[in-house]
Amino acid sequence: MARAKKMAPRDNGAPDYKKNLHPLMAKNYGKWSYHEKLRPGVLVHGAENGDRLYTVRAGSPRTLSVDKVRQICDIADKYCQGHLRFTSRANVEFLLANEADIDPLIKEVNETLGFPVGGTGHSISNIVHTQGWLHCNLPGTDAAGSVKALMDLLYEEFVTDDSLPARVKISASCCQINCGGQADISINLQHHHPPRIKPEGVGVCELPKVVAICPVAAIRPRQDETGKTTLEVVDEKCMYCGACHGQCPTMEIRDAKTDTLSIWLGGKTASTRKGPSFMRLAVWGLPNNTPRWPEVGAAVRKILDVYKQTGRPYERIGEWVDRIGWKRFFELTGFPFTKYHIDDSPLARSTFNTSSHVRL
Amino acid sequence: MGGGFRRVYPENRPDHGGINKDEGLGESGARRPHVASLQQFGGLLESKRVYLHLLVNPYSCAINFAFRYIKRIGWQNQMKGSGMSSENKINTSMIDDLESGPWPSFVKDLKSLATKKPAVGQLLGQLNQSYEDRWNYWQGTVLNVDGYGGGVIARYSELAEKYPDIAQFHTIRIIPPAGWVYSTATLRELCDIWEKHSAGIIQLHGMTGDILLLGSDNKSTFDAAEELMEHGWDLGGSGAALRTLACCVGQARCEMALIDTMAIQTHITNTYISELHRPEFPYKYKFKISGCANDCACAMQRSDMPIIGTWRGPMQIDQAEVGKFVDGHGADFVIDNVITRCPTNCISLKDNQIEVDDDNCVRCMHCINVMHKALKPGKDRGATILIGGKRTLKIGDTMSSVLVPFMKLQTEEDWEKLTDLVERIWEFWGEHALEHERVGEFINRIGLGAFLDGVGLEPHPEMITAPRSNPYIKFEELAPGMLEGESGHDPAVVNEEVESMESTNS
Amino acid sequence: MSFELNGATYETDEDGYLLNLDQWSKEVADYLAAEEDVEMTEAHWEVINFLREYYEEYKIAPMIRILTKAIGKKLGKEKGNTKYLYELYPGGPAKQACKIAGLPKPTGCV
Ligand code: HEM
Ligand code: SF4
Ligand code: SF4
Ligand code: SF4
Ligand code: SF4
Repeated sequence: MARAKKMAPRDNGAPDYKKNLHPLMAKNYGKWSYHEKLRPGVLVHGAENGDRLYTVRAGSPRTLSVDKVRQICDIADKYCQGHLRFTSRANVEFLLANEADIDPLIKEVNETLGFPVGGTGHSISNIVHTQGWLHCNLPGTDAAGSVKALMDLLYEEFVTDDSLPARVKISASCCQINCGGQADISINLQHHHPPRIKPEGVGVCELPKVVAICPVAAIRPRQDETGKTTLEVVDEKCMYCGACHGQCPTMEIRDAKTDTLSIWLGGKTASTRKGPSFMRLAVWGLPNNTPRWPEVGAAVRKILDVYKQTGRPYERIGEWVDRIGWKRFFELTGFPFTKYHIDDSPLARSTFNTSSHVRL
Repeated sequence: MGGGFRRVYPENRPDHGGINKDEGLGESGARRPHVASLQQFGGLLESKRVYLHLLVNPYSCAINFAFRYIKRIGWQNQMKGSGMSSENKINTSMIDDLESGPWPSFVKDLKSLATKKPAVGQLLGQLNQSYEDRWNYWQGTVLNVDGYGGGVIARYSELAEKYPDIAQFHTIRIIPPAGWVYSTATLRELCDIWEKHSAGIIQLHGMTGDILLLGSDNKSTFDAAEELMEHGWDLGGSGAALRTLACCVGQARCEMALIDTMAIQTHITNTYISELHRPEFPYKYKFKISGCANDCACAMQRSDMPIIGTWRGPMQIDQAEVGKFVDGHGADFVIDNVITRCPTNCISLKDNQIEVDDDNCVRCMHCINVMHKALKPGKDRGATILIGGKRTLKIGDTMSSVLVPFMKLQTEEDWEKLTDLVERIWEFWGEHALEHERVGEFINRIGLGAFLDGVGLEPHPEMITAPRSNPYIKFEELAPGMLEGESGHDPAVVNEEVESMESTNS
Repeated sequence: MSFELNGATYETDEDGYLLNLDQWSKEVADYLAAEEDVEMTEAHWEVINFLREYYEEYKIAPMIRILTKAIGKKLGKEKGNTKYLYELYPGGPAKQACKIAGLPKPTGCV
């Protein structure tokens, strides 16, 4: 495979962020003094010297054509002195120096791009997701499509900023590696049986690495009839985590017939109040139902309804469930509490109720 | 194509229980999802899963009912004259459904791209197949640009015979400007280069923080990478390497920012660009940098080494603004939503004035978030450095924990202290970790005490929430001199002898 | 895919990695190196030999750190780093050197 010998410079490093800053950002770098929410999706940041920089936040599908990116640029050229930003949740933020430009900009964002404006304050922001069937080699479900379907249902919560007690961050993961992050609500794919080894593949990969990657030592080498070394899985030990599948595609863990989705609640990364927390299993066994995953949408809706009714201001979902207790959570939502909700990992004991505190 | 085991896979996969895979699904076939799910789950009627399913059913029925009547655009008509011949019609009957609804649709956008990039139409065809079969048709492979050990996520399609233009369909990870702030000139340059060489899909951004460019083949990946690098861009990280960094918008547009996240990110990226491009670690290593405890970069649980802005000394309080806030919202609001929410009960309201017991404030940011005009962080600013966060695989999620309670990060000299620590960690972890062991897993295995010894840090009470309750302790200083007169010795992880001493004594 | 060399047929995967690792020989290595535009020198062979010995013993490719250390020990400290390895094998030790050494294609998504 002959390649061109002339090579571009290597190891350029990160682009210079200073060249990309909006003029008001550059001028007031480190000198911001306050911000206000003007309306859903619109913020203003005030600098010490009185400068004001307006931000209009719009939800994007993250996966964009070059033409869509150019359309975004056209709008930023027209209203934003050619500068914009993206958030970690794939929202676009248009940066404006001029308050009067906000309305015309929003009109164009809505009409030309088809993007809704929102995602600030106590809203549901864009759903963090990864590749799914669009471009990963491991997924049991789609990412971009399931997110689109769910955001259609949560649209109202995106474009308002006071319909919820606090902000709600959602993530979606399309295999048990869980590239989608911890979140207030997380939708994860779940496998339900040990990997089925495709014998024709074994041997072309590095067997000891596959054996070593299993967290519960369920994989061991085996001689087949011909004396060739292959692998076997001890079914009773296997916890269907799929780690081996990431290491070696021969360890097929997915199953179109039996993979399901589950919903996890209460992940939080900010150290505000009681600090960060992990999410916990709430609902399991939802069907992987393309193209709209309506059962997942309905379950999320149910959770949000109850949260809206009983959550207190600034109380994120994890803090809310902590306060009302999981017993009331299951009562209010009607989801069944099962033995599978009880942790059986080495950390399990730290999740048991070791007091006589019970809600009766 | 001979031999490759993954090639035979599509035929080998489990049968999909009567799902119709014919081209051009009719209306009834395409609208089958909910019905199919019931069939699929029919065999499980005794199980609780079905109970659950039925429980959410009233909702799903309503939703399905709604979608059933959503009019779909016949894309096959649109595709006429798009470079795809009619006998090669691409079936998108299932994902067509995702064009409707208020949220912007990637399907719609990609379809319009497909009119000039046939590969994108085929990509949607494969995606549709996945929706029908609930099966994935990508296989992973490796592809490196000369001089780089990562940065390209390479995929081959298993449906290449049907969709030849996506036989090779790769992603290039590109390092973005810190904080994801762009000038349109920068973005347009990226679009132009990428459109020239590929199917022209851009994801802004990957969850790690990279710009993701999708849709090049084996050759155009090199061409695109060369041209991008010619224009000053660079590839992002993948594999057992330093990964592309991510940070919040920080001082560019946030009054909360206590450190210069963009500058620190750029500095670390450029200092360790070799570690980012040429994997040499036991496994991946991620930094994420947030200007304050609000952690907009999701550093705490998504990075091996979060850097979180904080301050020492008193919080700044503008009592006049406090007065205005209390007048505007009422004292009850302040008590319910600020005072009682403080994790250490260190803030109080007396006579319309806020008082903070600064020694007990843990810099959680809550009160400042709610009363951001009245309360501001203190003036002596720096960062808390944490370690060990990661996502699920293999031991379950781990949260980062405090490594350095406070470090100034203002000057280049301060940054040098940080990079010095980073290098000690990489050396110790690199030397002693197992393959594929993230630094958090490594610390779990050897113990935080041994890790601190290994990287040359003193233990500090801020590293824990409470001392141990478990009484089985190996006090090194108090051990009798049974090891040939030697009492102190290196931590267990680096000294095999400790093990042997244990076994001969037990 | 496959290639012919001195009358024998060698099956490879779509990226040119040998499917039957037992078929590897120095001649095959030279052939694969030429395909990769790599000119094999003594220094290149040091890496290949180490990779093969390691694989013979452990049935896996070594971690890069182990490889750079071993090379540094043998050829001097200034060569025990990834920069040196990429000068020899621009396509990377894991991908390109392993291919020429007749080791399996790294399958993990690493
Ligand atoms: C086994 C094969 C793996 C593949 C194919 C893979 C693939 C990917 C891809 C494509 C992304 C970027 C996705 C996007 O934003 O579109 C990603 C991100 C991510 N991956 Fe993986 N990954 C693998 C292993 C892992 C493992 C083992 C872990 C955790 C231990 C992990 C955790 C993550 C996380 C947390 C992210 C989000 C990035 C961040 O916030 O920094 N992945 N992965
Ligand atoms: S969650 Fe799994 S399937 Fe989805 S992108 Fe990550 S590794 Fe791939
Ligand atoms: S799925 Fe997980 S537990 Fe089961 S064999 Fe694979 S690595 Fe081990
Ligand atoms: S993490 Fe803090 S400093 Fe950074 S953007 Fe968020 S609130 Fe501002
Ligand atoms: S920052 Fe947090 S800990 Fe400090 S006073 Fe405010 S609420 Fe309390």
